[in-house]
Amino acid sequence: MRINQSLKVEPIIEEKVFTVSEFLDFLNNILKPCKVIVQGEVGEKIDNYPRFTFFRLLDKNGAILQCFTWRDKIESLGMDLESGMEIRVIGYPEIRKDRGELKFQVERIELIGEGILKKQFEILKKKLAALDYFNPSFKKSIPRFCQNIGLITSAYGKGAKKDFLTHLGNFDFQIFFYDVRVEGVLALPEIIEAIKYFNQNFPTIDVLVLTRGGGNWESLQAFNSGEMVKAIFSSKIPIITGIGHEDDETLADLVADLRASTPTHAANILNENWKLASVKIYEFERDFSSLINRIFKNIREKIIFFEKNLTVRIKGEILLKRRGLDDLLRSLNSCFQNYFWKFESLEKEFRRNFLKIKNLIRNQKSKIEEVLENLIKNKNRWKESLEKTLEHQEEKLILSSPHLKLKQGYTITSDEFGKMIKDPSKLKISQEILTKFYKGQILSKIKKIEK
Amino acid sequence: MPEEKFNFTKAYQEIEGINEWFQGEEMDLDEALRKYERGMELINKCKDRLKESENKFEEIKKKYLVTE
Repeated sequence: MRINQSLKVEPIIEEKVFTVSEFLDFLNNILKPCKVIVQGEVGEKIDNYPRFTFFRLLDKNGAILQCFTWRDKIESLGMDLESGMEIRVIGYPEIRKDRGELKFQVERIELIGEGILKKQFEILKKKLAALDYFNPSFKKSIPRFCQNIGLITSAYGKGAKKDFLTHLGNFDFQIFFYDVRVEGVLALPEIIEAIKYFNQNFPTIDVLVLTRGGGNWESLQAFNSGEMVKAIFSSKIPIITGIGHEDDETLADLVADLRASTPTHAANILNENWKLASVKIYEFERDFSSLINRIFKNIREKIIFFEKNLTVRIKGEILLKRRGLDDLLRSLNSCFQNYFWKFESLEKEFRRNFLKIKNLIRNQKSKIEEVLENLIKNKNRWKESLEKTLEHQEEKLILSSPHLKLKQGYTITSDEFGKMIKDPSKLKISQEILTKFYKGQILSKIKKIEK
Repeated sequence: MPEEKFNFTKAYQEIEGINEWFQGEEMDLDEALRKYERGMELINKCKDRLKESENKFEEIKKKYLVTE
């Protein structure tokens, strides 16, 4: 069954009798798979609850469709529903058993009219920017040389696929094409699914190219939704967008890792580095060859230069050494000459000194001889003089002899110890004393001492 | 050991590095020869890779189509 086709319910021919509940379940089972898009104007009564909202969708004929939606579906619009707003709702019908009313379960809401869409765009842009979705620091870098490309676009659109592939150079690219709707209510879920598919199944792919041809503001609605921004932001694979014309700026462009203005531009971006490399590689080849040749030429020239320079330098060195040797010989000669001169003068001086010493010795010798002669001459005189002196001394000795004194009549008195008495004061009365005479001696006792 | 798969980006970067090295002032002859040989080897590989060849195109078969 294809969407947008009219719903055909086969007539039920059964004898079964339903309870009310069973019958409503039976109806809901038929109704729920029928996803449809309904366009209308939002009615005046809007019941907002924290998690869900009830509203009415009206048309010019006064028909009313009761709608139910979860709050996040409205939040993703970036703005609240207002009475009189022209919208499209995507969802399915369901009969509520507790009230017996038909409620349209809204899964997605799309705004209609360029004015309101632009307003929605500005609000969402501001809101998502505040949440850092467009922050350049979160953008993934596109590999310099992309080889594996995931292409997300429509196979039947206004030529975006053709434009991209035609302008993509033949650089052995591997293109994995994922066909999606790029317009209408199914565009958004399909594109989000495609991004997820590549991330899950081709995580090593170099880049994803999300592209579509130009169109009016309403046709680009899928690329201006918060869900699309979040899907692009979450992709691990970098994404290049090439949406619409150059002037069309979508929220997808703002969040993309790189924005190309058109599908052709996206192809050119991917070609650019390959084209450059195709030229540069030959330049490198030429440069390297000429560089290495220049190096060799330089080295050859240096070798020749060194060769010549070396010969001249060696000659110079030899000359210098020879001069040095000559100088050395000269200085050695002069040195020896000096030594010879010094030696000669020393020899002369030595000779002079030797003669002086010789004369000195000679003089000393003659003086000694003279002294000796004098000594010999005066020998007898000294002998006589000495003999006389001796005789005189002998006489003196004889005269002072105690024996002579005794002979002359003197006596010598001594105490009992034989000590000569010269002073009687140290003697005592009755002490015995010995008196020697020339001939004999007497022992006497002291009677009186006179001092 | 199987030869590592040729990586154009890495090879091209290495060539650029060698080119930068050659622009330098100090140059050792042995190193220059080594760099030259390596550079020429990479250049030839890159040239082979850059030879014009048709792109390969593969369409992803989707499972989720709403059509039946």
